[in-house]
Formats: sequence, structure tokens, C-alpha cells
Amino acid sequence: MTLLQVQGATRRFGGLIAVDNVSMDVAAGEIVGVIGPNGAGKTTLFNLISGFTPLSGGEIRFDGARIDGEKTFAIARKGVGRTFQNLRIFPNMSLFDNVSVGAIGMLGAGPLSSLRRDTKVATEIAERTWTALERVDLAREAHTLAANLSYGKRKYLEIARALAMAPKLLILDEPAAGLNDSETHTLAAFIRDLHAGGMTVLLVEHNMALVMSICRRVVVLASGRKIADGAPDAVRADPLVLESYLGVEEEA
Amino acid sequence: MSDRFRARLIAIGFLALVFVAAPAALTAFGKSYYWQVADLALIFALLAGSMHLVTGVAGLLQLGHAAFYGVGAYAAALLATKAGLSLAFTLPLAGLSAATIAVLVALPTMRLVSIYFAVATLAIGQMLYLIMLNWVEVTKGPNGIMLFSGMKFAGLDLSRPLPTYLVVAATVCVSLFVLHRLSHSYYGNALRALREDDQCADAMGVDTVRLKIEAFGVSGFFAGVAGALWAHTAGFISPPDFSFQTSILILAMVVVGGLGSLPGAVLGAFILILLPEALRPFGDFRNIAVGVVLFASILFVPKGLIGEVSALDFARRQLAGAWRRDGAGAEIGWR
Ligand SMILES: Nc1ncnc2c1ncn2[C@@H]1O[C@H](COP(=O)(O)OP(=O)(O)OP(=O)(O)O)[C@@H](O)[C@H]1O
Ligand SMILES: [Mg+2]
Repeated sequence: MTLLQVQGATRRFGGLIAVDNVSMDVAAGEIVGVIGPNGAGKTTLFNLISGFTPLSGGEIRFDGARIDGEKTFAIARKGVGRTFQNLRIFPNMSLFDNVSVGAIGMLGAGPLSSLRRDTKVATEIAERTWTALERVDLAREAHTLAANLSYGKRKYLEIARALAMAPKLLILDEPAAGLNDSETHTLAAFIRDLHAGGMTVLLVEHNMALVMSICRRVVVLASGRKIADGAPDAVRADPLVLESYLGVEEEA
Repeated sequence: MSDRFRARLIAIGFLALVFVAAPAALTAFGKSYYWQVADLALIFALLAGSMHLVTGVAGLLQLGHAAFYGVGAYAAALLATKAGLSLAFTLPLAGLSAATIAVLVALPTMRLVSIYFAVATLAIGQMLYLIMLNWVEVTKGPNGIMLFSGMKFAGLDLSRPLPTYLVVAATVCVSLFVLHRLSHSYYGNALRALREDDQCADAMGVDTVRLKIEAFGVSGFFAGVAGALWAHTAGFISPPDFSFQTSILILAMVVVGGLGSLPGAVLGAFILILLPEALRPFGDFRNIAVGVVLFASILFVPKGLIGEVSALDFARRQLAGAWRRDGAGAEIGWR
């Protein structure tokens, strides 16, 4: 079943076309990697899907219904959870409180439920929060401030917050950026585990080894256009890809 | 368990101070002026508590809070003098009037960010102040409004100092309790997420615009209630009570106590109302002393006298007994 369907998505910033007529599908249960050189439009594509940026053209369907034009929070509530390339945690809140926001947003805990101390909603939020914290092994530090966390752990905190949303699609924007080799290795295993547990994952990553090792399908963007879409081995051998991306990467 | 016991003790101690010790001491001194100061300290505790929700928790710098205080005061004064309503009706109606205006004002300004939002609230505060000053037919302008027999309810005369004080104390404590429930629950977490990174909260499914408007409305409501209390207890209101200076005073209370901390806001209000009174014997020097205290507290305890972290810890773990533990001893969270 197709979970996410992007059709002819286009995004212009003034004269610049950051995403140019990109179409791609993600089936439920799939794990798809999006790669491409700096400025290829990967983050912009993710912003279009999660509603951070409006489309200039094309359409996006999620779970059978159009989501382009919807507000960001409404798209999130439909089941799109994401992390950010430039880590966006809530620094002056505890880890528990950070992660709880994912569950609160999804369950829409309003002022009246907290005035009445609605046990049902609160228990659900707490359970989701603890489960997500345990999933990333941060439960023991639940009550420390996020600002006091190491960089590597912040990455997991952000993922846990998205997991507390219980999303249908998890979008990760460069989760391994800034991690060393062994940390990247652990992260790869973690993402593979998530996927094995049934999560649909869309992943942007510069680390080719990581993408190739955990994704069954890879989409390649260059200058806003999709230039390849297929199994890692096929993509790796694609001359267009070699020229526009892998070549650049080797030079760097 | 002993932690919890200690916290309960603090909560009970606070209530005992407000409802037993303070009235007993005031009765012993017998000066009606002291009673007025006590009423004022409580009213400002509520003003600071209501600003805490919007500025400390939701992170929206509000520079016009006193205007909503004024809207409540004028609503109560007009309802009492023109319609002859008693304070059982004027209190909630004053709150609703202020909340309505707060929400109307919030609708167009919520998309503004940080400093622009602050300037917008400043402008709104000024506008409302000028309306109070210049709409003479209704507000009597600079002459203000007198409320005769403002403290009567169901045939009871509450105008003696002790009953007046008890009405104020009860209203303020109930209001602070509601603010406590809102700011220390999961709802408070959603508000805090707005302060930290509202775009990011949006991506988590939090309806940020709606939440900001709610926080603004609730904060306006309690500012309005505080205004009604002031109108009824002082018996006379005029525009200078609700000027920009008052807004800044409330902001100072919230910051000195600790941004994001409800007990801090209450403590800040008590200090900034009671300290100048305590220093009255020193004449004009007292204003300088208050300034020095403000300056020193920002310099040495920038997170406030009761910082947000300790306030949250206190309120959640103990005050409300709200963090349940499961069989394995892990906390399940706020009920
Ligand atoms: N808000 C914006 N306003 C103007 N231009 C933008 C904006 N966001 C992105 N761009 C431009 O769009 C292009 C694509 O940017 P994008 O961030 O999507 O690339 P990316 O593939 O994620 O790159 P990286 O690997 O560096 O993260 C870039 O040229 C960028 O400068
Ligand atoms: Mg990017």
C-alpha cells in the first residue's frame, strides 16, 4: 500500500528552483533513502512533505488523502513525524517533557483535560513518553534538562520525541551528521531495528555507507531534480549519479 | 515520602500564612492601611501568576498586562455602579470581559514573533489605557470611578477589613490553583514547547496558534479577576492604576521570582509590594533600595529566586501528588 505519494512537487525560492518536479512513492513498511549533494533540495523536499514550506506546484498525498496546503500540525497529526537536520530540541525542558510534547500534540491534551486531571489522556501520554525514552535508552536520565545532554544523545532525544507521536511515517533529516563512526554504526542498527518493527522511514543522509546499508531503495536528487530511484546497487552504478553526486563526494 | 511530606507542609504552610497568620497579625496591628497592603500583595500575586502563564511558560513577552487588569477593574466598577451587581457576578464577568478583549487582540498578533509581538502588546496596552483616560462618558476619564458599597454580597456586609481580605485571599488562591493545574500539567508542557521552538512544536502536532490564543485568553481572564478585586477593595479606580508602569512592575515580579515558575511569580509579587512598604520609614530612599534589590537579583540569580526547574519539580512530584509510580517504581506522570 502506498503511504506517501509525491507528484510533481516543485518549490521555488525567488528564481531558485530548490525542488523541481519531483515524484516519488513510499510504501507502508518501506525504508527509503534520499541522497544528493549539498543544496540538492533534500531538506526542502522534507519540508514540503511535513508542511513546513508550501508547494509551488504538484501535490502530496498521505494515506490516500491530499495533505499539501494543510497546516503543519494537522499533517503531523495524520502521522508524519520528523526530525531536523539542525537538531531542534527544547533545551530548557527535561528529556521527559521534551518527548511528552510528541504525544501531547498527537492526543491534543487541552486545558480542560489538565484542569480535570484527565487520567486516561495523561496515562496514555506518559506511557508513550516512557516507551519512547526507553526505546532510545534515555529513560534513566528522563528528568535532566535537555540542554545538559551530549550531542549524540540529543539526536536520540529528537528521534524519541518523533516516536512518541507514534507516526505512520518517520522522516529523518541527516540523523548521522556530526556522529563518529562507531556512533553512526549504532544509529544504523537502531534505524534498522525501527524498520524491522514495522516503521516506515524516509531518510536523508550524507553518509553513503549508512544509506546503502539500511535502505532497500534510494532516491537521488541533484539540483532539485530526481535523477535516480532504485536499489542501492543499481543507483551506485548509475552514470548520472556517479557524475553528479558520488564524484563530488569523492573529491571532497 | 519525606520529600512529599515536606512539600505538603510547604503548601499547608502557605495556606496557613495567607488564611491564619496574616489575618491574625493584621488584626493585632489593627491599622486598616496594613490590610490594604495585604490585599494589594495578593492581587499582584494573581497578576504575576497570570502573566507567568503567558510570558514565563508560553514565552510571549507581554508588555500590556496592566491593561487587561484595567479592563477587569472598569468592567467590575461599571457593572457594580450601573447594574448594581454584587461581586459574585462582577468577578467572573470582569474576567470574561478581559479574556474576550485579550482573545480579540491575540487573533491578529499571534503570528508576530518575539520582539514584534512584545511591541504589539505594548501598543495595545497603551491603546486601552488611552481609552480609559479619554472615553469620559463611560470611564469618567481621569476622575476615575467610585464604588460605594462595593463589598456587599447576599446581604452580607464584607466591607470590614477581615472579610474583605478573606474574599481576596480565597479568590486569589483558587485562581492560582487553576494556573497551577494549567502550567504544571502536560498542557503546560505544550505551552513550554511554544516558548522553546514553536515551529518545532508545530511539527509535533501542537496547534501552536490556538494554544497561544488560549494562553493569552486565560491570562487575560485572571488579570480581569484581579482588576475586579482591586475595584471592589479599593473602592476607587482611575487610569494611572493600569498604566505601562504597572505592566513593567508585574513583569519585574515574574522575572525576579523566576521566568516559568509560578511560586516564583507569587514570591516576586510579595517582595515587590511588601518591600517598598517595609522600607517606608526610609522615605524616598526606599525606591532606590527597591531598584538595588531588583538589579542585584537579576545579576546574582538570573533564573529567579525560585527557578523554573525547581518549581516544576516541586509542583509535580509533591504539591499535587501527581506523579504516579508504577509497580517497578517508574513514574507514570501527571494525572
Ligand atoms: N527558505 C529558503 N529560502 C531561500 N532559499 C532556500 C530556502 N531553503 C532552501 N533554500 C535553497 O534551496 C536549495 C536546496 O536547499 P536544501 O536545504 O533543500 O538542500 P539539501 O539537499 O538539504 O542540502 P544539505 O545537504 O546541505 O542539507 C539550496 O540552494 C538552498 O540555498
Ligand atoms: Mg538538508
